[in-house]
Amino acid sequence: MNRDLGGGPEQVLQGRIIICGIMIAVTFLIFLIRLFQLQIVESNVFKKKAQNNSIQIIRLDAPRGRMLDRHGNVLASTRPSFGLLAAPHEIHDLRGTATLLGYLTDRPESWFLERLGSLPWEKRFQRTRIIDDLSFDVFSRIESHLYALPGIFTDVQPRRHYQNGTRAAHLLGYLGEVHAVQLKREEFSDYLGGDVIGQSGLEKRFETHLRGRSGGRTVSVDASGRVIETIDEVSPTRGRDITLTIDLDLQTTAERALATFADRDFRSGGITVVAVETGEILAMASHPTYDPNDFSGGIDSESWSNITRNKGKPLLNRVLQNYPPGSVYKPIVASALLDDRLITPQDEVTCNGVFRFKGRDYQCWKRTGHGKVDLHQALRESCDVFFYQNGLKIHIDRLAEFAQFFGLGASPKLSLGQEAAGLVPSSDWKKNQFNEPWYPGEMLSVSIGQGANLMTPLQLAVSYATIANGGTLYRPRILRNISSSSGIITSSEPEVLGTLPISSETLREVVVGLESSVEHPNGTGTAAQLDGIRVAGKTGTAQVVRLEATEHLEDHDIPVRYRDHAWFGAFAPVDKPEIAVAVFLEHGLHASTAAAPMAAEILGTYFKNRKLKNGKTLSYERYQTVAN
Amino acid sequence: MLGLANLYSATYAQGAPGLSPIFRRQLFALSAALTALVVVALIDYRKLERFSGVIFVGTLILLASTLVFSPLIQGNRSWLLYGSFSVQPSEFAKVGLVVVMAHYLHHHPPVQKSTLRDLFILAFLAFCPVFLIVLQRDLGVAVLTTLVALTYLPFLRVTVKVWAVLGFSGAVFLLGVWKFFLKTYQRDRILDFFDPSRDPLSSGYQALQSKIAVGSGGIFGRGFLEGTQTHLQFLPTKHSDFVFSVLGEEWGFLGTSTVIFLYVTMLIWGLSIARNAKDTFGAMVAIGVTGMFFWPAAMNIGMVLGLAPVIGVPLPLFSYGGSSLVSAYIGLGLLLNISMRRYIF
Repeated sequence: MNRDLGGGPEQVLQGRIIICGIMIAVTFLIFLIRLFQLQIVESNVFKKKAQNNSIQIIRLDAPRGRMLDRHGNVLASTRPSFGLLAAPHEIHDLRGTATLLGYLTDRPESWFLERLGSLPWEKRFQRTRIIDDLSFDVFSRIESHLYALPGIFTDVQPRRHYQNGTRAAHLLGYLGEVHAVQLKREEFSDYLGGDVIGQSGLEKRFETHLRGRSGGRTVSVDASGRVIETIDEVSPTRGRDITLTIDLDLQTTAERALATFADRDFRSGGITVVAVETGEILAMASHPTYDPNDFSGGIDSESWSNITRNKGKPLLNRVLQNYPPGSVYKPIVASALLDDRLITPQDEVTCNGVFRFKGRDYQCWKRTGHGKVDLHQALRESCDVFFYQNGLKIHIDRLAEFAQFFGLGASPKLSLGQEAAGLVPSSDWKKNQFNEPWYPGEMLSVSIGQGANLMTPLQLAVSYATIANGGTLYRPRILRNISSSSGIITSSEPEVLGTLPISSETLREVVVGLESSVEHPNGTGTAAQLDGIRVAGKTGTAQVVRLEATEHLEDHDIPVRYRDHAWFGAFAPVDKPEIAVAVFLEHGLHASTAAAPMAAEILGTYFKNRKLKNGKTLSYERYQTVAN
Repeated sequence: MLGLANLYSATYAQGAPGLSPIFRRQLFALSAALTALVVVALIDYRKLERFSGVIFVGTLILLASTLVFSPLIQGNRSWLLYGSFSVQPSEFAKVGLVVVMAHYLHHHPPVQKSTLRDLFILAFLAFCPVFLIVLQRDLGVAVLTTLVALTYLPFLRVTVKVWAVLGFSGAVFLLGVWKFFLKTYQRDRILDFFDPSRDPLSSGYQALQSKIAVGSGGIFGRGFLEGTQTHLQFLPTKHSDFVFSVLGEEWGFLGTSTVIFLYVTMLIWGLSIARNAKDTFGAMVAIGVTGMFFWPAAMNIGMVLGLAPVIGVPLPLFSYGGSSLVSAYIGLGLLLNISMRRYIF
């Protein structure tokens, strides 16, 4: 035990101990240098990283601005949407969670199992939305079971809601996730992938106003994404409200009228109503239609392909599309003839059912002929021979000029998308298009609204409004005003595009003809008559194919795509016109019996709404401002 | 000594605030550790030498018993539970190993040429606890215990040929361990060390978050209880293996350099005790105890600073863990013991 008493460790041992000491010192010196590097040299980098770890900015979506009709009825608003979120990292028992969720919702357990299992690994600390729009029932059920569902959360997000479903769908448009292509453009620089944005109609046109400004909440979170505290919060600013010129009641009447007869007499069509003295669009209905609510939370691919593959093209706003106008074009030809003094209202033409020109027969729709007809009668009974014969008196380019006075051949510039401009044929057009001169024979079909003529239902309404108001062409408008919580920001005023260089006598004669078309027993538009209010109107039956192809067939035997389009243009009251209506039934065949009654229905609704309980009638100016 | 203990408890308090049960248990462990320190320091170490064999075998039995009785905790089977107490015998095995190896070297002084037989016996002594710890699947402590045993290697006098044989067999052994023994996750950890961007969210996660914690501390730190990395749970096992990053985040470079300085002081103090010990046993025990502190401290701090792979090794005197604390204090007790008796005969 005491063998080496007094003898300390040898020198060798001493030396090695010193070497060990140096090694220890070196090791810790390295640590010190490293600490210096991390904590002093690179400290800012790590401070930033630590902050990124723990500070998150949660975006608070702004409720989208509302869209209202002219009387303040809500067309589109925002409702709460209840979402289901999952943070995979915090789910302890995947199967149990899926089972319980399956029980609480209407989705199968396997769906949850797959969805929860497939959440991206790098998002394990984050909450991912797995269901977007729970019903309130399911939401409450889940809410009351959250204690048993660690890692499952609920939230409430604003979501676009169209109160009346399909009502005015084409006008309002729909929302959709912002496209990758859009995200690259500068105007969308403050959008993030997955954001919802107006993709059509007014939603698109007024996106910047409707969107509002999203707020943000700065929170500190722990490693599992749990919010520890709210550091600050900026509330979102609600989007601006858009008040439209639309009258919900007229819109509803128009859509119902279309829907009632759709699939029986026609498949598709459009109706629009324009205020004669302002150019305001009171209704714009297109059929078939769709429910923009389906798009609000991002449409699923099945519904999308159902809509896009539908042969009826429900997304197409037919009020803004080109169609051959047929006889509704005749008032324009009539005003050109009268104003250039090529005819007088009393000049007569004898119609025996056919007009022979350069060895070819041009039929009147009435094979037996109209006999002697003057201008008024020609408009009343829509005599084709009258217009064939007189149409030859006018040069095509002069007629084109007149058509343009009425707003034809120009886009309405509503910025709604899908806006056609119509087509006004002229010799220049012929030259550009076919490199051919204009042949006089073509004048015949153009005079009755056939040939190359194309017109949109909106153009019909606007041109008849121009006839009705004595020659002022207003730009059709859809917006009344834009307002924020602090009041009206901008409001739109009537805009005169031009005053027709047409004498008021000319227009008066045309109006007489149009009135007799409705009010005279022999008129083609008698189905548009109203009690106590005089209506002016004109039917139109536009051939889609040459008459010979279909004339031997009964109506119901004609293939739908060969059937004539049915038109009706009208305005009322004749003395002091207020509104103009255009009805267009694609392949609808029957202008007098199908289109004209629809116009009557709409005019009837309009005048009924203007009638007060005491029997007095609201003036148009009052109607504009007073809610019904 | 007392200063160190004070620093320890102070640091510890900021290390795991709000975890009062853990903290209370640690206080209890501290009192046990202080008692052990006093007891170990009072008994003459030369008397202890007589029991070194018994101590060694005792710790081996404790180790072996874990294999039979203990539950799996965090993938390891290294804890013995006595009611609400849990003991980690592998911590004490290191002390036992140090004592028994010092005892052997006392009787076969390293100043003379060591024979291969000496080497084998020493290797066998080390192998016993290491093997048992490996069976417990506690990689960190197994590596640590091996390193503690290897601390004695520089103090042996062997021929160059023996060194070569040792080096070669060591390399073969390491390769074998890598290839056949390590689990995938353990291999991943080591690979992650060399390339932390391999998978920043899984096994490199701790290392990254730890570096962020230390780095964000700056010069003065974020202040006591202010560390966001720590208190928002970004840093895993912050009260045990990553206690040094908490220190770095909250006390900054001033705190960390102070602790580094204290460690160096303590280790040099241990070595100087070895130098001044009046017999070989004392010197060897002092060297072994110094190794017992040096290796885990170096590995732990290296890991926290991203200089070494993530291996679960506690920081002596800082990390949470009663057994590690008690064994560290027993080590300190031994050092005090040897230091006190260097002039007494």
